[in-house]
Amino acid sequence: MTSPDEPDDLESRLLALGESLDVPAPPPTDVAAAVRARLEALPSPQRHPLPTSTDSDAGGTASPEAASSDAASPGAGSADPVVPDAASPEADPSGSGDSEPSDPDASGPASPAPGPSRPARGSRRPRGFPPAPVRRAGRTARPGARVRRRVVVAVVAVMVALFFGATPVGRAAVAEILRFAGIELRIGGDPGPLPSGVPSPLPGEERVTLQQARERVVFPVGVPAALGEPQDVRVSDGGRVVSMLWPGVRLDQYDGTLDVVFRKELGEPWPEDAVVGNSHAWWIPAKHALTYRPRAGGPEVESRLSGSTLIWQRGQVGLRLEGPADLARAREIAESVR
Amino acid sequence: MKSVRTSEGVQTDDDEAIARSLAGDLSAYEVLVTRYSMLAHRTAAMLGAGDEAEDVVQEAFVKAYRHLAGFRRDAPFRPWLLRIVANETHNLTRSRGRRADLAGKLTDLDPPEAEGPEEAAVATDRRTRLLEAVRTLPERERHPVVCRYFLQLSEAETAQVLGIPVGTVKSRTSRGLARLREEVDRDLT
Repeated sequence: MTSPDEPDDLESRLLALGESLDVPAPPPTDVAAAVRARLEALPSPQRHPLPTSTDSDAGGTASPEAASSDAASPGAGSADPVVPDAASPEADPSGSGDSEPSDPDASGPASPAPGPSRPARGSRRPRGFPPAPVRRAGRTARPGARVRRRVVVAVVAVMVALFFGATPVGRAAVAEILRFAGIELRIGGDPGPLPSGVPSPLPGEERVTLQQARERVVFPVGVPAALGEPQDVRVSDGGRVVSMLWPGVRLDQYDGTLDVVFRKELGEPWPEDAVVGNSHAWWIPAKHALTYRPRAGGPEVESRLSGSTLIWQRGQVGLRLEGPADLARAREIAESVR
Repeated sequence: MKSVRTSEGVQTDDDEAIARSLAGDLSAYEVLVTRYSMLAHRTAAMLGAGDEAEDVVQEAFVKAYRHLAGFRRDAPFRPWLLRIVANETHNLTRSRGRRADLAGKLTDLDPPEAEGPEEAAVATDRRTRLLEAVRTLPERERHPVVCRYFLQLSEAETAQVLGIPVGTVKSRTSRGLARLREEVDRDLT
């Protein structure tokens, strides 16, 4: 700031220095695999990112700073020592108390968190008088109502379970079964609730390079030019399926179109007829349950949730492209497969 | 993934991957981890995790997944994730009770401004001394400088990652720069 040139010079020297600084890091895909393994090893209630969804609603209306420090609350309190003057007033109103329950193991450093939540609870009991007798009187007045409500809820739950999914009758009401490009589409009826939670990998799934994938499978493996080199390639089930992943997009190519490789349970909106190049294709716009049938028979791989998907055939190879938001983009990618 | 270069494009990509991760698709989350792994390692190492950066980064990604539902979807993912990395790093250095040193080695690459071996040696020497000067900055100034210049984060991102207001980022960065300038000038004389 002493002369107009000098700051720029120092700043650009710092930028150049940063670029020439090397930090050892394992290959990103190894990190991803390690993180995945750790997530899969978590007991399922902890593994799901979903229980804090109410927090996200709250975050949606808050300012960016508040939301971010809220979200990063695993160690929100930890920012304090770095910035004793500024961080604490900022971190506290962000409601670290809200997200605290979602992260029971957020460890010791989060101890400031109970602070903000305690006064909040206390505020409901003005002046510290024990309000318990009043409240209890209110509660004991309606235990009958509670029990009744519970019974109603239970009955409704049983009826819902009977009508939807829990009985073979509910699931079997499939109006039509379509087999196309190695995929069985079960259309109509009630597809049941969509699967949630952590999807299982395909049998024998292995991470490989594109070159290795080509060597390991007997069918020609295509790559969509529209997406470029895949970030991640996997071969599963003894070379029956090659999966390629790009951010938000997955392409599965599989051997043989005679066997059923995948099964999809579909409700509305119905699949649409489409064309890829000169061949017929199906576009499935809705989220649906996807199940893999292992080549050797045996139990199916647990269903997972699939996004919108385009399925088509290239010679004797079946393809399913999952992820593009609309048919036009999906077709563009599909037609660029070389 | 050469086709996506604009930050908007990256954000759309991130958003898709996040949506699918929230639906339980761990492969989608792997894509996110792969994308941000290098930057997360740099962040952890440069904020003081040292040779434990790998552990810190893994822990941060696991925590980020579990808090993904609390992530504001229209906000950028990068600073949100790096904030968690920075917090994990800080937890580590505090539990070790040792100074959060700036890790990172100068690569053997000849500095681009060098023309001959002699000049290259001089330039390398200048770099080494500048790096040493950054290392000796007090932490409260070193962290913003590292974020802004070594990690190339914006002021707003730096503020979010370090959990301090943007104004504080500005003042500490300029104080850090002033100190570095003094050091560099002293070396030259």
